[in-house]
Amino acid sequence: MKSYLKLVNFEIGRFMKIYLVLIGLTILSQLIGVIILSKSYVANANEAIYEYLVPFGQFIEEYGRMSMMSVVDSIWFMGPIALCAAAFLFYIFFIWYRDWVGKNTFIYRLFMLPTARLNVLLSKATTIFLLVLGLVAMQLILLPIGSMLMKWNVPLDFRTDMTIREIINNSHYLFILIPDSFIQFLINYGLGFMAVFVLFTAILFERSFRWKGVLLGIVYCLIASAIFLAPLIYEFGIQASFFYPVELLIIEIILGILVIAISIWLSKFLLNKKVTV
Amino acid sequence: MIEVKELKKKFGRKQILNGVSFTANKGEITCLIGINGVGKTTILKGIMNLTPMNSGQIFIDGKNLSKDTYEKITFIPDAITMIPTMTIAQAMQFMQDYYKSWNQSRATELLSFFRLKQEDKISSLSKGNTAKVNLLLGLALDVDYLLMDEPFSGIDIFSREQIANVFTSHLVEDRGVIITTHEINDIEHLIDKVVLLDNGIVLKEFSTEEMREDEGKSVVDVMREVYQG
Amino acid sequence: MNVNLNKREPVYVQVIRHFKEQIATRNLNPGQEIPSRRELANQLKINPNTAQRAYKEMEEQGLIYTEGNSPSKITKDEKILGAVREELIGQAIDSFIAAIGPIDVPLDEVVGLIREKYRGDKE
Repeated sequence: MKSYLKLVNFEIGRFMKIYLVLIGLTILSQLIGVIILSKSYVANANEAIYEYLVPFGQFIEEYGRMSMMSVVDSIWFMGPIALCAAAFLFYIFFIWYRDWVGKNTFIYRLFMLPTARLNVLLSKATTIFLLVLGLVAMQLILLPIGSMLMKWNVPLDFRTDMTIREIINNSHYLFILIPDSFIQFLINYGLGFMAVFVLFTAILFERSFRWKGVLLGIVYCLIASAIFLAPLIYEFGIQASFFYPVELLIIEIILGILVIAISIWLSKFLLNKKVTV
Repeated sequence: MIEVKELKKKFGRKQILNGVSFTANKGEITCLIGINGVGKTTILKGIMNLTPMNSGQIFIDGKNLSKDTYEKITFIPDAITMIPTMTIAQAMQFMQDYYKSWNQSRATELLSFFRLKQEDKISSLSKGNTAKVNLLLGLALDVDYLLMDEPFSGIDIFSREQIANVFTSHLVEDRGVIITTHEINDIEHLIDKVVLLDNGIVLKEFSTEEMREDEGKSVVDVMREVYQG
Repeated sequence: MNVNLNKREPVYVQVIRHFKEQIATRNLNPGQEIPSRRELANQLKINPNTAQRAYKEMEEQGLIYTEGNSPSKITKDEKILGAVREELIGQAIDSFIAAIGPIDVPLDEVVGLIREKYRGDKE
């Protein structure tokens, strides 16, 4: 346990530089985005009303009021989120391969630590999970700051104020990241967690059997997906709803846990018996 | 004692190890000799469970390897097993964090013995100094057995001398050491035992002093006989 | 201490011979402390086990002695010291005779030559 926590701390430390860059980029882009979009809206309004003498009512009718919605759906907001998502997807692989590739033989050290090798895997998974949650938390802090910046830049008559919850609920992708119920939150992040474990297992297949392992890894991903999606595949097959939503939820939770358990068990086996440095 | 019994290992279609057996005693330096690609490194990795064997058994003091064995035996590969962006001090801290067997006073002693500066980044070191740090990280563990893969290859003559000095010092004394080499000349007088490998098997296993005493042959003489005879 | 070790003779035998030479030439005096086995191993770049074996043999032959925990010392036993000297002289003579024998020189001539050379070297 102690080694596991130390390893988590160590892995987080190793990613910290890139992580801070990602956070910095997100903060800059999102806040600059708010300011630029607000300013250009106001400039647009000024031009219309003072130069072309468009009445206020007509302007609002044509252009709508400025709200955070036009910000969160812009590239300024979505861009860094997409970048972070891509970075983490990449990092799921990189967190393993950087210890193997090139002249770096740090994996020797990790595998020779006097602790269960599974701890190495669990610490890497935990690291990814914690850092993703960190990004989501940061997003939650950035939203009210963005709202405030917009309020400073756009006069009351020209804007629609929204609560943070309203902003999130109205944005498709933010709603996935920050759903409005705890259960939905568990489902979303549970799915993500499951995907990480399945991918880790596939990576270990590759690290154990190289080219053959790539194939095994892909096959494993397909099998894991098939297990998890079995009820939905069944419903699709019979072209009808077979389960009540609550039933489906419970079955999916059980299957999800099953897939995670199988992945961890397989990873443990590969780490102890098959993996090669 | 490290006992290696009938190790077999295939890479693809190539049979790298084809039933390798030998023993290495505590308090002795055992040298695995063979040309490159003969599977010396694979044997060491096998002992450390860093690569799976197709068959065979390995016992360390009569027991199979487990996670706790890594406090008793350590492996020093031919490349450094630390993150290059770390400083030497950070690398030592890492070892101390995870190993009960880490001996900080010995680490400090090794630092001055090798004339290394602990604030130096590993990536900024010369080849010879990198090899020394690698060695330091293994030697400063209070383990009974040390496995070293080609500790003398690819480094300058002065570093070689310094490293050879380690073998005659208390840093290695009383431990069981297995080293691999394809170049025996410099270290003939340092080793107790030789295991000659070729084509995946052990051609000969002998004590160097006994060989000199009984047959008046040097290690190189025996190698000439075995490999060319 | 600098010794050229050959690779075909047991190292411990070579170490003992080296010590005998040092004793005979009085580079090592009776009762003088000698290096620990570890120091010796380090100086000669040999395996500590071999150094240990050499010391053990020398102790058995009475060339060195150890009192309690103090470092080993060269023996003060005149009989042994004399024997070492004789042994080395004997060996030198043997190899000399082996070399000169085939040339078939009369003994008187040899002795004369030796006397001449020997004096020249000593001066």
